[in-house]
Amino acid sequence: MSTVPLRLGPLGAKGYSIQRSGIRWLREDGQHCRANQPIGWFNIVVEPTRALSSGVPVFGDECELQVVVAPRISGRLSVESGVSRGGYLSVRSVDPWDPDTQIGSIETGGGDVGPDAGTLRLMVLAGRRMTDLANVHGSLLSGWHSRTRGWWCDAGEAPLTLLSQGVCDANGVVLGAQSAFLEMFEAARQALQIVYVPDHPIAPCVPILLDQISRTTAQFDAIAEDVHRHFAPGGNALVPQDWMFLGTMLSELQSVPLKDTYDIISANGLQQLRAPNAVLLSLAVEPQAILRHKSLGYHMHVMRHHQAAAGPAVRAWLSTAFEPVKRTIDMIRKDYEALIDRLKQQTGARVIILNRMSSSGREDVSNYMGFDAPLGDTLSNVAAKEWNLMLHDIAETRPLDIVDVDAVAAEMGGAEHLPDGIHQSGQMQSLLLQQILGFMEGLSPPRHQQAA
Amino acid sequence: MILELRLPDIVPQMTGATAECLFAEAGDALRLGSKLVDLRVDLSSAFAQECPPISYYRIVLREKAYLRQINLQPGEYVGLDGPVALLSSSPDEPLDQTPERPLRITVAGILRHDGMFSGGDL
Repeated sequence: MSTVPLRLGPLGAKGYSIQRSGIRWLREDGQHCRANQPIGWFNIVVEPTRALSSGVPVFGDECELQVVVAPRISGRLSVESGVSRGGYLSVRSVDPWDPDTQIGSIETGGGDVGPDAGTLRLMVLAGRRMTDLANVHGSLLSGWHSRTRGWWCDAGEAPLTLLSQGVCDANGVVLGAQSAFLEMFEAARQALQIVYVPDHPIAPCVPILLDQISRTTAQFDAIAEDVHRHFAPGGNALVPQDWMFLGTMLSELQSVPLKDTYDIISANGLQQLRAPNAVLLSLAVEPQAILRHKSLGYHMHVMRHHQAAAGPAVRAWLSTAFEPVKRTIDMIRKDYEALIDRLKQQTGARVIILNRMSSSGREDVSNYMGFDAPLGDTLSNVAAKEWNLMLHDIAETRPLDIVDVDAVAAEMGGAEHLPDGIHQSGQMQSLLLQQILGFMEGLSPPRHQQAA
Repeated sequence: MILELRLPDIVPQMTGATAECLFAEAGDALRLGSKLVDLRVDLSSAFAQECPPISYYRIVLREKAYLRQINLQPGEYVGLDGPVALLSSSPDEPLDQTPERPLRITVAGILRHDGMFSGGDL
């Protein structure tokens, strides 16, 4: 039996000071902890020191900054009294980040531990609020964000970035049970940054992503002007839900997550990371028909439950200003190919995609007379099989990694682990997460990303 | 012989379904493999806090029968195990008798199509 003190370890950026709150524990005193299991977290602020006070602040639009800590070894946790300040002192950043601060200790079962065993692993979380009104301090990355991210790396490492632009099937895997990347952090041995962009209110199907990556400022201005022109005369008729939907929609139309660059702080100081190295997509989000604006030609895909968030004026606008465009499987394949080619050309990002569950233990079709041919246009499971095969056709000629949801669900049992075909159990998410991390391990380290 | 069709348990957590499309009317002689009704199962009530799955299903006959009474119209909701239709093995058997057994059917997930009651929705 040996006791290893747990210390915060280095985190900083030259020219900036880091202040932290009191710790909020995720594990309690006396509980057993796995190696790399998050045990607590802090809020932090990063501010320029006086010498840089006129400089550009890092994380300028990311008000939510937190640090999650995890031990590198397993054992029984003993927490240090005094590091959890309680009340607002565990919300506000009131103490300087001191790498030597001891927050507790781990009792191990014995054996040799490495010299760095007591230095905590750190994951930094950053959240960009959808609105500054959404300042909720309750928990990890609480509130409403237009983008959240978490990264971890040790000295000398530069993280690869994975951007999740999927819907529930992809986001559940990367975000985890507490929507804060905790499972990814625990499972990954590689230096990584995980970025999550929600589908509020536009769902990230491929036509939407292609629009985003190619839209010019002038085209966005034309969209915004058209929206203003349409709604201005009837402004009094808009209800709060309409205003909120439109504001969020315009904000999303203006952003291009596929090209985002990122500031990070770590033991290496301040680093700038370029656009994502990999993008995680969901085949399940692709619609068979998508709305296209009648005059400006841009696409709109709002999931049904998000349509309900709009007020009547916006719902009427979606019905009249847009027209539905049918998409054949061939059109969907071409959209994917165009996106993969465009990303390869513009950012070098590799596409990782979750395929679809294509069977159901509850179906017992013995005669197909009642289902119109071609069956891929009628039966959802046949369509899912054809779409999954389409991904393999694409992968024949282009770089594409397929997360095999179909095989994993069939192996584990769809009824228990994927009952509606989209939302997985935690056990299934763990297996999919391993597949995604496996693809990330296959990517080359980012040569272009230099410490600042 | 009177056969009855009640709304079957198609997916876990469902409490009912909405008729989207009828393929037959009372008096029709239906063959094995005939389409009867397309349904929408909306789990919004079960998963109101998260994105609610909405899925579509088709009920197809696994035996020949005469459709005698249909209790659903497009857009109408029926609860789980609620009455959907009465059928008979010959065209003019009186319906005022207890159904002898459930109709033999196949249910399969289908894609949304323009012929549905909600087909014009966004």
